[in-house]
Amino acid sequence: MAELKKESFVIRGKDAVRMESISRPSLSFWSDAWRRLRKNKSAFIGLCIVVLYALLAIFAPMFSQYTQSQMDVDARHAMFSAEHWLGCDSTGRDMWVRIWMGARVSLSIGLISAVLNMCVGAVVGGLCGFYGGKLDMIVMRLVDVLYGIPSLIITILVMMVLGKGITPLIVAMCVVGWIGTCRFVRGEVYRLKEQDFVLAAKVLGIPDIKIILRHIIPNILGLLVTNLCMAIPGAIFQEAFLSYIGLGIVPPDCSWGVICKEGIQFLRYYPHEILVPAFFVCTTMLALNLLGNGLRDAVDPKLRGTE
Amino acid sequence: MLKYIIKRVIAAVLTIWVLITIVFFLVRLMPGTPFTSAKLTPEVAANMEAYYGFDKPLIVQYLVYMGNLLQGNFGYSMKFTNRTVNDIIGETFPFSADLGIRALVLAVSIGLVLGIISARNRGKKLDFFCVIIAVLGTSIPDFIMGAVLQYLFGIRWGLLPVAKYEGIEYTILPACALAFYTLASVSRIMRASMLEVTQQDYIKTARSKGVSDLRVTYKHQIRNAIMPVMTVLGPTVASVLTGTFVLESIFAIPGMGKYYVESVSNNDYSMVLGMTIFYGIFLVTCNLIVDILYGVADPRVRIGKR
Amino acid sequence: MKKKILAALLAAAMTVTMLAGCGVPGGGKEEGESSESNEKVFRYSTRTEPTSLDPTKSNSIPDNEIQHAITESLVRNTGGEVYPGVAETWEVSEDGLTYTFHLNPDAKWSDGQQIKAQDFVYSWQRLMNPKTAAPYAFIGEYIKNGYQVEKGQMDPSELGVVAQDDTTLVVTLEHPTAYFLSMIGAQAQFAPLRQDIVEKYGKDFAADAEKNIYSGPYKLTSSKNQKWVFEPNEEYWDADSIKLDRVELSYVQTQDTALAMYEDGELDYVELPSAAVPTYEGKDNVFRNGNVDYFYFNCSNQYLSNKNLRLALNYALNRNDYNDLVNNGISAPSASLAFSGLKGVEKTYGEESTLQSYPLDGDEAKAKEYLNTALSELGLSNPSDISLSITTTDAETSKKQAEVCQEMWTKTLGINVTIQQVTYNEVLSRQQSGDYEIAWGGWGSDYDDPYSYLELFKSGSSYNYSRYKNDQVDQLLEASQQEVDAKARMDMLHQAEQIIIDDGAFLPQAERVIHYLLDDDMKDVTFFYCSVNIDWVHADVEK
Repeated sequence: MAELKKESFVIRGKDAVRMESISRPSLSFWSDAWRRLRKNKSAFIGLCIVVLYALLAIFAPMFSQYTQSQMDVDARHAMFSAEHWLGCDSTGRDMWVRIWMGARVSLSIGLISAVLNMCVGAVVGGLCGFYGGKLDMIVMRLVDVLYGIPSLIITILVMMVLGKGITPLIVAMCVVGWIGTCRFVRGEVYRLKEQDFVLAAKVLGIPDIKIILRHIIPNILGLLVTNLCMAIPGAIFQEAFLSYIGLGIVPPDCSWGVICKEGIQFLRYYPHEILVPAFFVCTTMLALNLLGNGLRDAVDPKLRGTE
Repeated sequence: MLKYIIKRVIAAVLTIWVLITIVFFLVRLMPGTPFTSAKLTPEVAANMEAYYGFDKPLIVQYLVYMGNLLQGNFGYSMKFTNRTVNDIIGETFPFSADLGIRALVLAVSIGLVLGIISARNRGKKLDFFCVIIAVLGTSIPDFIMGAVLQYLFGIRWGLLPVAKYEGIEYTILPACALAFYTLASVSRIMRASMLEVTQQDYIKTARSKGVSDLRVTYKHQIRNAIMPVMTVLGPTVASVLTGTFVLESIFAIPGMGKYYVESVSNNDYSMVLGMTIFYGIFLVTCNLIVDILYGVADPRVRIGKR
Repeated sequence: MKKKILAALLAAAMTVTMLAGCGVPGGGKEEGESSESNEKVFRYSTRTEPTSLDPTKSNSIPDNEIQHAITESLVRNTGGEVYPGVAETWEVSEDGLTYTFHLNPDAKWSDGQQIKAQDFVYSWQRLMNPKTAAPYAFIGEYIKNGYQVEKGQMDPSELGVVAQDDTTLVVTLEHPTAYFLSMIGAQAQFAPLRQDIVEKYGKDFAADAEKNIYSGPYKLTSSKNQKWVFEPNEEYWDADSIKLDRVELSYVQTQDTALAMYEDGELDYVELPSAAVPTYEGKDNVFRNGNVDYFYFNCSNQYLSNKNLRLALNYALNRNDYNDLVNNGISAPSASLAFSGLKGVEKTYGEESTLQSYPLDGDEAKAKEYLNTALSELGLSNPSDISLSITTTDAETSKKQAEVCQEMWTKTLGINVTIQQVTYNEVLSRQQSGDYEIAWGGWGSDYDDPYSYLELFKSGSSYNYSRYKNDQVDQLLEASQQEVDAKARMDMLHQAEQIIIDDGAFLPQAERVIHYLLDDDMKDVTFFYCSVNIDWVHADVEK
């Protein structure tokens, strides 16, 4: 049996820095969310589709020999072919180009107005819900008034003042668009602020703003994201409705709503003219919903660290 | 609670008054007049303006209108001369309401069920199936949905009447088309809300007590999860019951949605105001009910006090 | 889990059944709608909702079509031919200014009372009375003092219509009007009215089927729920000539829906949407409804005041391609102003016309030539220095019209063209205020005469939205209003049209052609291009 000699040992000392370090990288809220989103297969597919469509919307029209307004009497209602990948509409305009030109308008309108609406709605709704009382009463009544004005009047007036085009359209949609989110967030905040963890935070003397940011927002983020994902198609189709009654964007520009509207009259005779845009709208929505579901799960503080 | 309700009703009346006033002046800012027509001559225009009192100052017109309104009189339509707005609403609202109620019952019942199924089977195939339904519902606008349903069931397969509203079989297609969007959104929100609730302590407590899965869902989860759905339903009820322009036109239903939209583009001032007031009353009432239900359905919520 | 889905499905099924349990407002179908019965029924639909059941306030073609069946005027215009109505005979004075009508003492209201000359006097005075505010009052300006009464400068009693006794009516006109009889036989505003009934209901007169009284071959039995039901009026003086037992008019906004209802056997007549026309080739019939499509040029605009530019725009439009692109090829491309099917002296106006106009296929070379002249006249060097905007309505077809013109003009001429889509009402108010450059337009006449179309380019006319002024045109049109000789008058109108076309005053596009399906059993349905498009008064069902 060998003897343990003192020389066999070396004093390594204490490494104050390393002792404190954690072997696994620390995860911030957002990087954890991103990690979990990536692991969620369907959400990732959703993300890929959205990115693909965005890229196509930017690049596809550049590499086509056609423009969105170029008409061809002989190609009216043409079916899919090598020249026209997605066929042509009733005036012989190439659908492939129109779909991606339309995607530019529709996706940006959908995204911008949905995000704008969500931000405004969440702030106003959050404040009303949290502070309640007179503020809530007054703001909510104003909201009722605003919601009661026929949106068509608002749209027509906004367009009269600002002219037609994407910006006025977004403005017109945002004037009342935030109300849904606002009511919804307010309701949620009402519900949450009576719960124990908020009460605890209050008792501990944490300032209101911190309570809202730290404790309430993360708890409603899941519902907000779901709401947002549904608001995007909502916005795209509100634009479609405005196009349906002729108040959408300026021709010859088009959007998915406009293409749908042009195609619907040919449903019985040239179904591809409506099915093509409907397909892209549906797949975009599917992608956004899958992504939304994944995001919801990813940002949910209660699910953090699970899976 | 009673005091809160009384306060809210007073506020509601004020809200409607503000709404009327704003819309009264807004419609007059719109381009065109109610009498605009291709063959209008200046002489005829002048006569019609005098007939409807447009030659008087705006404030006088407003007071006259409010005076009539207090007697429950919405006035004569300017496009459909000889008919009162009350008469038109009275004739068309039953159709819109009937269709709306059918659609709502359909949407809420199926939507809730789908949402619950979806949440309980999170991440599984059934969940995905529900997502697909929800996606179709939210991503196909009513003008496509209506036309496609009409084409398939009415024309292609001849199972149901293509249009008009003259019997129970006539109601099915438009009600389904109208229900689809609400159904989808209800199911989405219900799913999200159910998942939210699942993480709560009282659910864990119930589970650890050994309460059966189904019972937990029934007794604790649904009641708590339904609140956000109600918030969304408030305004939806108002808009669904007061008609939908697109579906009414596709299915040739004599409802009021068409008047709501067309009166604006026709500049039919008295009709716009009549429709707005009618819709406004509905909206304010629905929201009031939702707020009160908040207190009833969720004992922790005390609205009205800080 | 499966059980639960089953339960859910069951619950859903139960809700649906429960829903099916309750009734529907308006309550079910009316009896007697079955096709087995021997009732002769005609069912059709309208795309535009009728606005009023008061003949005086009639404001649109659907309004007129209803009134054509439920009122009887002095004469009856069936497909352009004038037949006796309440008046058995009539005389016209040499100068064409005085009409004396002798009324049929057997002509009765639906309550059995005689239709008297005073009923016409009351009705026409009511039409022109400014207090009535009839939207179509201008149509009565032909009657002596009509305009002054309308302006409130004269009392309605001074209107040139006098009842000499119960059966003699004397009408004095402002100027000879060749189409006067044809017009009063089809425009609802000239129908008789019973003073006691109108005053009994006051503002609610004709609010629904009950608050009215009928002089025509049919009476309205219901106007509820956007459906109008007509049944024969037993008191009608010529009741034997009426064959149908019931007529149902429904309001169906969407053309595809109406077509589906026709295929389902729920309608007997339907207008085809343009997309459907190729599918029904051979089964459909056509008529022209007298509507012409065109664009207005604002002649006070800095560029469009230049005649050569207007001509360039006209020559650059390939009207055949335009028709294929916009109307799916179903309308008739046109480069003239007045509707070609109007009555001429012996043949139709179009057949007698010697108009030299722009080629329907367009002419690029000529267009560029005119453009170059225009550029040098305007002092511009580049076609792209010219920017024009087209104001058009929110309708899908109007949008296409603008898009096609935009595409052809930018391609052929290289000028900048933008589109402004606004509501129909706003287009009209912009036309009236002159706040536009190029604007969507369309015209259908209220009477069977080219003057209605030509008046659009008469300076001083309230319909001159182009702000076009040509003294020669004005003189010709003025003179035509006084000319009694039909041939000479028509020549003046043809001449005026040629000048307007040579000046490129507007952009003619197409004449509308309506393709329709009509049930094989239906006989004697008449189509017309003014006031009343479909006339089923004397129609019959033969099985």
